[in-house]
Amino acid sequence: MEKNEKSANKYGIAYGEAVGTVAAQSLGEPTTQMVLGSLHQAGIKTIVTTTGLPRMMEIADARKKPKSPMMIIHFDPKISKDYEKIRAIRYKLEEVRLSQLIEGYEEDFRTGSMVIKLDKAKLAVYEITPKRIMNALELKGTVETALVDNATIKVKAKRAKSESQAAASESKIKHYRITFISVLSTVVSGIPGIIKAVIDMYEDNAFYIKTAGSNMEEAMKIEGVDKWNIRSNDPFEVMKVYGIEAARNTIANEMYEAITTNGANVNFRHMSLLADTMTYAGHISSVGRHGVAGEKRSVFARAAFEETVKHFVNASVFGEHDLLTGVSENILIGKQIGVGTGRVRLSVKKDDLQKLKRAAEKAEKK
Amino acid sequence: MKAEAINDIRFTVLSPERIRKMSVAKLIVPDAYNEDGYPIDGGLIDQRLGVIEPGLRCKTCGGRAKSCPGHFGHIELVRPVVHPAYAKTIYMLLQSTCNSCHRALMSESAIKELRPVIETMTIDESDEVLKAVEGQAQKADKGAESAAHAGLQQNGNGVSMNQSMVISASMPAIKRLKSVKICPHCKAQQAKIKFEKPTRFMVGNETLRPDDVRDWLSKIPDDDLMLFGIDPKATRPEWFIITALLVPPVNVRPSITLESGERSEDDLTHKLVDIMRVNRKLEQDIDAGAPQIIIDDQWELLQYHVTSYFDNETAGIPVSRHRSGRPLKTLAQRLKGKEGRLRYNLSGKRVNFSARSVITPDPRLSVNSVGIPIDIAKGMSVPMYVTKWNIDELKEWMQRTEYPMIVNVISKEGVRKRITETNRAELLASVEPGVILERQLIDGDIALFNRQPTLHRVSIMAHIVKVVPDKTIRINPSIAHPYGADFDGDEMNIHIPQSLEAQAEARYLMQPKLLFMSAKDSSPISSLSEEQVMGVYLLTLDSTELSREETMELLSYVGITDMPEPLKNGKYSGKSIFSMLLPVDYSTEQKAGRDNIVVIKNGKLKSGVVNHSAVGGHGFMIMEIFDRYGPDYTEAFLTRSINLALKYTYMRGITISVRDFYITDEMRKEREKLIETVKSNAEVVMKNYKDGKLEAQPGYTVKETYKMLLLAELDSARDLAVSIVNKHFNYTNNLFLMSEVHVRGDIRTIVQTSLLLGQQNVRADRPTRGYSGRAIPYIAKNDDAPESKGFIKDSFFDGLEPTELYLHAMGARASMQSKSLITAVSGYLMRRLINAMQDFYVEKDMSVRGAGGALLQTIYGGDGIDPMMAGAAAAAKKRK
Repeated sequence: MEKNEKSANKYGIAYGEAVGTVAAQSLGEPTTQMVLGSLHQAGIKTIVTTTGLPRMMEIADARKKPKSPMMIIHFDPKISKDYEKIRAIRYKLEEVRLSQLIEGYEEDFRTGSMVIKLDKAKLAVYEITPKRIMNALELKGTVETALVDNATIKVKAKRAKSESQAAASESKIKHYRITFISVLSTVVSGIPGIIKAVIDMYEDNAFYIKTAGSNMEEAMKIEGVDKWNIRSNDPFEVMKVYGIEAARNTIANEMYEAITTNGANVNFRHMSLLADTMTYAGHISSVGRHGVAGEKRSVFARAAFEETVKHFVNASVFGEHDLLTGVSENILIGKQIGVGTGRVRLSVKKDDLQKLKRAAEKAEKK
Repeated sequence: MKAEAINDIRFTVLSPERIRKMSVAKLIVPDAYNEDGYPIDGGLIDQRLGVIEPGLRCKTCGGRAKSCPGHFGHIELVRPVVHPAYAKTIYMLLQSTCNSCHRALMSESAIKELRPVIETMTIDESDEVLKAVEGQAQKADKGAESAAHAGLQQNGNGVSMNQSMVISASMPAIKRLKSVKICPHCKAQQAKIKFEKPTRFMVGNETLRPDDVRDWLSKIPDDDLMLFGIDPKATRPEWFIITALLVPPVNVRPSITLESGERSEDDLTHKLVDIMRVNRKLEQDIDAGAPQIIIDDQWELLQYHVTSYFDNETAGIPVSRHRSGRPLKTLAQRLKGKEGRLRYNLSGKRVNFSARSVITPDPRLSVNSVGIPIDIAKGMSVPMYVTKWNIDELKEWMQRTEYPMIVNVISKEGVRKRITETNRAELLASVEPGVILERQLIDGDIALFNRQPTLHRVSIMAHIVKVVPDKTIRINPSIAHPYGADFDGDEMNIHIPQSLEAQAEARYLMQPKLLFMSAKDSSPISSLSEEQVMGVYLLTLDSTELSREETMELLSYVGITDMPEPLKNGKYSGKSIFSMLLPVDYSTEQKAGRDNIVVIKNGKLKSGVVNHSAVGGHGFMIMEIFDRYGPDYTEAFLTRSINLALKYTYMRGITISVRDFYITDEMRKEREKLIETVKSNAEVVMKNYKDGKLEAQPGYTVKETYKMLLLAELDSARDLAVSIVNKHFNYTNNLFLMSEVHVRGDIRTIVQTSLLLGQQNVRADRPTRGYSGRAIPYIAKNDDAPESKGFIKDSFFDGLEPTELYLHAMGARASMQSKSLITAVSGYLMRRLINAMQDFYVEKDMSVRGAGGALLQTIYGGDGIDPMMAGAAAAAKKRK
């Protein structure tokens, strides 16, 4: 027992340790090093240095939409090794535009109609019927559709709403042109937002799908998808679908990814503390004046960071009360800070103090 | 005056009554000095406001320049003006209250719903708040409270709330008030209020003068103010209109006397003079019964000066300037930003007992020491506390008249006196227990050592002082790594901790040997590098055998007097020499690089070569020794192995020559072939793209995919060339040897020097911009060939073609640019991260807490393990 305690202590964290600062430094230091390090390899692959930092900023800023949203979808173990089934799901996921499904089309600008010849083979692959395409087109509200035969659709453009009698035929043609282009780019199948889906395999032969674009809410509705094992790199979406705890994990994991893919190695506990910082209030707050720093209780802590005057003015209007518990406030007023060894206080029992005093006096006399 | 520690601070707005009460002088003369150069009574340097010149006495407190803290005065404004900082709040209040009965434009029922929520939030004692909040949250339902409710939930999680959050909670409800047309209380019709920045309010088209605004605001009942989050006990809104202007003491705006005897006033004084001049003019105009239009003009001018007195960067008004044309620095400018009071003077403080010099390497110093130049040591001091136990010894110290001597005596009363030849005897007599003596720095003292930028905690560590000759600070080159220092002219700072607490903390918590593992990734902060790695590598090769004399020289150099077991031929193996540094009970078996397993049994290196993987960067041997044998042994091991390695490197000798860069004709042929392959591969990609056969990769367009694939293809030339080097070079080539043993130089460096430079990149793309359709004017327009867009076939050794040189320079410049750009960005990211997390600490129960006790993690990191030791802890777990 005693030995156990000792070995646990050997690696244990010390009371008062300023773990927040340590985490922030551990995350911040490699980013500076990443940049400084690239100097020596002038001209060689600049991609490596720039992917990490922008991504870290994106996460720390808590931006609503990441630049490149992404999902990793896992499947029910029953089907996860069946390539055919996974492939079928892939086709259900990916956004398919009409232009991808056609063999050719003819436009008629006099009547404002076009005849679209569909590619039967592709229709079969994506399990799309001409009827479904027609429905998708009708939903746009700008065209009327008619089925010519089982693989040909005729589309007629409706008149533009604002079109006046005096409209020249030129603008009419323009209107038809715009309509036709929008017809061809109509999404007829798949989940909105998912631009591309790629199948990949783990070492144990289980397949998973990686998508460009993210839409967890729709993806989890698909049969065969393991809805407890979908990942997205967008913390806000994860929060919306799975809640704040999951969003916290997403932030930590994404931060880890952003740093480690750059060759730097940072202990995961630092990312997890940052993720907790950003989410412990129950919502995702950014690192910066509009987030964590702006939500601090202390007026001085906020004023010392950014927007000094605004914070003092508001504090006076609302009669704020600064309890001076944080680090920056205490540095400002010149007191010892409340972390690290500054946290340790010595307390002595009154009786003991008396005894000590008496003992000291005795020693003095001798 | 007695100084006391500040417990907490409350913010309020000063009422005119309070300002008059605080004021020691009503200022009436818009000037500072009379013709004789003497402060005018009632002027801006009135001696009742405090004195800053030595010799004068304050007329209020009687103190001298040093003891008088300064006293506030005030100016009575003839006509009230709007306080510009509160204009927005005033606008909000005018919009949200009735123009006739001045109550909040909120129905009684809505008020009834909102009030309890706001009241619970404004209580200070957090426990009570929580209880009240929980009760409220259960009752609360729709509308105004659901917004407030969201704010409450945050509090429930342990987030401390600030007052601005209170208003954000009731904000949705308040925002709706401005569109209310008819007062729910008195049924009066509401006119639209307009706000012209910075300080003008209008009802319809009629200007609302500041005194009208004040009347309006003063009639808002206390109870209704609560709804806006304003605590009427702290702040009444009519105080947002200034009638009495507080004038800061002269200590805040000291005037300076130039050498020519001319006086120069502070910017604030200048601004206050402006205000008082206009104020007097306005008074005269009113007394003389001037037309309203002239009075209004003066009034507006007064408003302008008051506005710029508070903030001279207010949008919508011209910047107020000094005679010389320089914009005045008024109150807001003093506080704001990096050079403002908060960040420059309060968050960052200046210190004494510090020094700075250029650093130079000295491997004979321990990694835990620092060499302090004698001149610095003479100029720095450490206090020694006289007690009855050490008084005799210290009195002897007092007699010293050269280098390690006592320089100052601090009496019991706290008066510091410098020892000179004339007063030595007198001061010596005054030495008694309780007196503090300050002596010069000597060997064994502790010094904090720091290099900027201070990116992480090992950028400041405590080193043991070793006084050295010459003028530079010396460190062991191996401890330069955590500081990010090199010796090309870097300067570093030292600080000498003065109090015993500070010294103890430095000694027991901040020494490099104690912070030996990085908290970032638990790798050693210091290890062997460059020729030191070469040294141990060569020494521990199987073939290394040294004579008795050589062995003795090596070992005695690192202070080892025992000899290892000799071989049968009477010589000593390098492995056995290295083993002398290891702990006697140290055993391990680790893979260290390709085809190399290091086996150590009971402190004897049995087989394997000690290389970079063992003692460099993340070297397992250093980590294991630190984990098993502790800081002191690690320090000794590191310092000894560094010196042993260096000594052996110098003994054996290793160098590179031009010959190492030569390539054979065969290699030349292979290079040609390689270039051909890469180019034809690139052409395939280009052709595919042109034919439209290229398929886009997920998340990218076809064009982006094309660029990526082409670049990857061309970039691969360098990697392919690596195999040519690997095939033809061997360990007889010292350049290749150094790169293979991770001493210095990457294999790609050899490729670039001897074979080819390869593809140059500008912002992750081939250099294309510069001229239309080409990067440099020496190539054909729209030429997409690899050579035209930065593919360099020559090596540094062969020399570059002129076009290649320019393309190479483009890549180099681009990477310089991005470097300087990104450092600024990442520096700001770091500042934000620190600011967000600096208050967190580990509580006694190992939970992570923020300021005010907010709970972040129940057990730090999930396991309560020190990040510095996380690597060792994981290894220990694995062993079990």
